[in-house]
Amino acid sequence: MKFVLPLLFAALALSSCKPAPESGIESGKPKVALVMKSLANEFFQTMAEGAKKHQAAHAADYDLIVNGIKNETDLAEQVGLVEQMVAQGVQAIVIAPADSKALVTVLKRAKDAGVLVINIDNKLDADTLKLAGLQIPFVGPDNRAGAKAVGEVLAKKLTAGDEVAIIEGVTTAFNGQQRKAGFEDAMNAAGMKIVSTQSGQWEMEKANGVAAGILAANPNVKALLCANDNMALGAVAAVQAAGKVGQVQIVGFDNIAAIKPLLADGRVIATADQHGDQLAVFGIEAALKVLKDKSTPADQQTPVDVVTK
Amino acid sequence: MRRFTDYLILLAVLVAMIVLFGMVRDTFWSFATLGNIANRIPALALVATGMTLVMVTGGIDLSVGSVLGLSGAVVGVMMADWHWALPLALVGSVIVGGAIGSTTGAVSVKLGLPSFIVSLGMLEIARGLAFLTTNSQTKYIGADIESLGSPIGGLVISPAFLISLLVVVAGQVMLSHMAIGRHWIAIGANREAALVSGVPVDRPRILAHALLGALTGLAAVFNCSRLGSADPNAGVGFELSAIAAVVVGGTSLMGGRGSVVKSFIGVLIIATLDAGLVQIGASEPMKRVATGTVIVAAVLADTWRRKS
Repeated sequence: MKFVLPLLFAALALSSCKPAPESGIESGKPKVALVMKSLANEFFQTMAEGAKKHQAAHAADYDLIVNGIKNETDLAEQVGLVEQMVAQGVQAIVIAPADSKALVTVLKRAKDAGVLVINIDNKLDADTLKLAGLQIPFVGPDNRAGAKAVGEVLAKKLTAGDEVAIIEGVTTAFNGQQRKAGFEDAMNAAGMKIVSTQSGQWEMEKANGVAAGILAANPNVKALLCANDNMALGAVAAVQAAGKVGQVQIVGFDNIAAIKPLLADGRVIATADQHGDQLAVFGIEAALKVLKDKSTPADQQTPVDVVTK
Repeated sequence: MRRFTDYLILLAVLVAMIVLFGMVRDTFWSFATLGNIANRIPALALVATGMTLVMVTGGIDLSVGSVLGLSGAVVGVMMADWHWALPLALVGSVIVGGAIGSTTGAVSVKLGLPSFIVSLGMLEIARGLAFLTTNSQTKYIGADIESLGSPIGGLVISPAFLISLLVVVAGQVMLSHMAIGRHWIAIGANREAALVSGVPVDRPRILAHALLGALTGLAAVFNCSRLGSADPNAGVGFELSAIAAVVVGGTSLMGGRGSVVKSFIGVLIIATLDAGLVQIGASEPMKRVATGTVIVAAVLADTWRRKS
């Protein structure tokens, strides 16, 4: 048995002598890197799964490397991922930036190195991009329009002048700000009175506490508009605990699996589906198209649908 | 009289907060608020009880938030996917929590590693397992689990609340009236002296961690029952609330001194603060600043009383 170990090492050494996988251009098959936020988050998990399925179905067209960070706010880790992908010689990076400003510098380095960069999910800050003299196309949904459409469904169940409250996401996140703005657009247009706007930090438990507090402090609140479905679940529990089922309407965003039974029995009126499983795929397809016909990449809007059952 | 003054400062902080919040927002003094606070207390009270026991021995456990997430994830899978009955899921959750707590305790005690480090590792492991268990998805459970967290007969008190009160009392009895409690205190005060005088020092410490884990498992069930769902992200940062409640209650970070009942008052202070800040509409940054300030102020008041 003594020679097993050396043999193993020899095998390892041999395998590492094999020619390194040549960069895509020579083999005719581009390498695309998908750099995500936290893969622990259901939403990004779905996005990554969709991308992997797409690659499996188009295996002849491109190679895919999927990476995510541990913690949604760990910017340094994501910057490191982009650097590694550039070092690996990928042709395109499709990225859901953990921060709309902090990633711009490293993405500029990637572009300077000749890598095509496509922005998905969280839109990079326009002013920061301009300062850096950079143009990165955004392929993704209009969160504001989506939230407004959800708000309009809710408005039909209310009467003008009703009190409503918004439970927003992490206040520094662009998509969270857009959803809040969309809710406000719809409520203001319908003449509702927004009595409170507080952050549930995207989390069910936090949102539950915030919703309970809002209901206690504003007994006349008729609706809670939640910037994601997890927070809507927390709000539903708070409404039940306050004994106000049926008196307080709730809407969410994202259309996660857990929200379906609540949509079915009306405890949640509406949510928005931005086709999470396709979001990364849209970005990858945009990247492949640019790589293929050498066109100039442009911003592209992807669909958001209101779901009511 | 000394016992009474022990509680006086903490209760004064609590009453001051209730008065202040009520002055800013008149709806604060209502049954709705009382219900909110009673609803939020059980999980934190259970974990703070276990944490007090661990901290009295001079240890700490940073993994409780992740263990809460993992146990909850297990409850979610058992009830939403496998359709198990609540009692079975409850037992399962307590076993998972207890097993994780025992592991943290045994590794730390038997291998002589600081519990701070071991539980920091466990914080990562348990969170990873929670995501694996649920495939990173929120599980909706619904009415099957909600009964535990709903008020009995329309009053503000839920079964979860009553059980957590019982646990607090049992924890205090163990700590101040039983041999195991004397061992915990002796170990925390001076481990070498305890060893020399024949007090077992390994098993009581492992037991404290195991109890904390099991109570965290129970807390996870209560948490799921309050929300009607299991969220694998549940409990992020929960360890800090639990440790804050225990420290506000006057338990020493160095070990050797502590009270479960005072930790419970610490829980009341944290829960009242949370509820009050939401009701007066404080912004997220202000909530954090205010919470941090109250924690430091409460500990300061307690230290100051001890010295005078």
